[in-house]
Amino acid sequence: MNSGSSSSRLRSIASTLAVALTLVLAAAAGCDSREEPALPSVQEKMRETHIYGQSKLRIGVATNEPLMGELRNGQHVGFDVEIARYIAASLGYEGDQRLEFVSVATEDRIPSLQGGTVDLVVSSFSITEDRKKLVSFAGPYFVTTQEVMVPVRLKDKVRTIEDLRDPAYKVCTSGGSTTEAELEKHQVRTFVVKDVGDCVDGIRKGRYDAVSSDESILAGFLASFPKEFEIVDMPFGTSELLGIGVPIGDPALRDLVAYFLQKSYEQGRDGDASPWQTAYNRTLGPWLKAEKRQPQPLEVPKLVDFDDKAPAK
Amino acid sequence: MSTTSTATGGDGPVPPPRTSASGAAADSPTFDGTAPAPPVLVGPAADAGGDVAWPAGVPVAEPTAPVVADVEPGRVRWDPAERRARASQSFWTALVGVPAIFSVLRLGVEAGGELQTTLLLVANVGPVNLLAGFLTTAARLLSAGLVAVFALGAVLAVSADRLPPGSRRRPLFARWADITPAWVVLASFLLALITWPLLYLPLLLPAFVAAFQLRPGRLHDRVVPRLLLIGALLAGYGWLMLPTLRAAVQQGDESLVLALIVVPPLLALFIAGPLPGMVIRPLASVTEVAVLATLVWAAVPVISTPVLPLTVTTVGPESGPTEDVRGHVVTTDDVNMVILQEKGGVRYVPVGLVRAQVLCPSEEELPRHQLRIHDFHVEDSLLEGMGRRVRPVHRIDAACRTPA
Repeated sequence: MNSGSSSSRLRSIASTLAVALTLVLAAAAGCDSREEPALPSVQEKMRETHIYGQSKLRIGVATNEPLMGELRNGQHVGFDVEIARYIAASLGYEGDQRLEFVSVATEDRIPSLQGGTVDLVVSSFSITEDRKKLVSFAGPYFVTTQEVMVPVRLKDKVRTIEDLRDPAYKVCTSGGSTTEAELEKHQVRTFVVKDVGDCVDGIRKGRYDAVSSDESILAGFLASFPKEFEIVDMPFGTSELLGIGVPIGDPALRDLVAYFLQKSYEQGRDGDASPWQTAYNRTLGPWLKAEKRQPQPLEVPKLVDFDDKAPAK
Repeated sequence: MSTTSTATGGDGPVPPPRTSASGAAADSPTFDGTAPAPPVLVGPAADAGGDVAWPAGVPVAEPTAPVVADVEPGRVRWDPAERRARASQSFWTALVGVPAIFSVLRLGVEAGGELQTTLLLVANVGPVNLLAGFLTTAARLLSAGLVAVFALGAVLAVSADRLPPGSRRRPLFARWADITPAWVVLASFLLALITWPLLYLPLLLPAFVAAFQLRPGRLHDRVVPRLLLIGALLAGYGWLMLPTLRAAVQQGDESLVLALIVVPPLLALFIAGPLPGMVIRPLASVTEVAVLATLVWAAVPVISTPVLPLTVTTVGPESGPTEDVRGHVVTTDDVNMVILQEKGGVRYVPVGLVRAQVLCPSEEELPRHQLRIHDFHVEDSLLEGMGRRVRPVHRIDAACRTPA
């Protein structure tokens, strides 16, 4: 009898505790549902950028790198341009009304970002430690290697870096590029011009004998003159990580660009048609020797966006 | 004594005439011969000494007041059938009336407090749309209120006979739980099940157990099979939640999520009362106030949730500069598109100038947790989660990113 009453008392105390705890949990859940997200949202980041409220987004692109960034019949086309369009649309700038492509030469990429004449640069911009002191990078969005392109008449004569050192061959490259520094490291005497396109022109006119640059850029010229040139695979040993240049004073914009690159990367990884893959297939894809995939962007911030609740598969 | 109480019970303070007649007749068998008489007359008849034959001119309503005054307050006994009828009447009145009133209040808030804008909205938003819009945003609040009342009510009701002597009334929620038909309770739980965010669904478990008084003893008569059954149920729950728990632990800083997932099923084992007599009264009063306060507190966001969908309309002449108008489209006719702007004010945009229009999400929809239960986001309800499976890809249009 006594044990029965004590167990019943124990029961009723347990019941009381359970009711109280449930109420506390429910209250905590109610408070939680009214809280702001702990992570910053894309929209919050947008408000921090210097482009917020700007009516047009200005993106620096190349106009004379076939397949990457080219001005054809007044239209900007190429892989870089397509990536730029994707980033711009993600940032809220879609259509020609709101997007302005600014032609930027290889050597002007950093000054134009520093001077504020463009908001972003998408123009075969290799990420390097030295450049990181001057501008911020989001990416990489493409990994390429340095190669050499020679006219067909020289394809059997220029095969190695050693051959390039031969003063008989005039090697041309664009100023302010990573290639220039790399060739210098290998003690190759170079003729430095403004753009790779000038080198190609020069070779066709007989002024130079070889041009060195990123494989992606050279592939573009090869696509333009498939009968006249050949790309020689040389062991330069460095890979070029192409990134999107952002003014160094705007970390929020850099974060956003990285976030949207990551979004495309995740889409592609799941086997869907990502914006990157579409851009690649339409431009570079058919002209590169080896199939490429979007590299994983680095230093991607965790942000909250509206489509976070969408099913993963 | 018993005759008096039955008599007063039969006549009641303000009896609605429809249902009381049969109930009164059934309730007053001691009055031989008075049963066929109109119930209003029973009270005075008893007071006057049992004289049955009344002259025609005797006032009917007057004497009822003193009779009620004689009755000890709080001791008034309602006929259960009558009570149920009234309760169901008030239930349906509340069910229709509360959303209606809320919807109209919401229009005022939506219009930014401007009378003319409110009138514009009233003129253009149909009552059905309004009600449907209200229900989609308020269903989880409504069901939460009902679930809380029924769960607490059932626990209090089963403990009510332990009330200290001298307590007169059963707690309010207990009385509500008593008179509510089981299907209403079940419907509230079903509504909660499909509209609550998944993260809060475990709380429904102890609430359900409490509301239907499902003690572990109901599972099986013997102890060992009972424990096995409980173990199996908990294991099933664990299998469902384990990946989420692991993710929550990895993310750190998610202790509330952990508690919300782990604790409620354990509480469900003990919650089905009865409570000790001394806590019933304070618990009843505190929870009554708390539920009311929570409903009011939670009603504020419901009132301020927009009635109309948020859109961005691109406005401008052909081949000219464009402008994005962020707001809610109230109506469109042959001449104008009427947009209630997000920053306030109404804009009449000529239809010819509308270049594009996109639907945008609002910032309240941003998730707070990065957790999923078998690919269902923890902040989605079952309904929303299923919806996302039907239309998996949701692209946010570029125009939605532009500032208001």
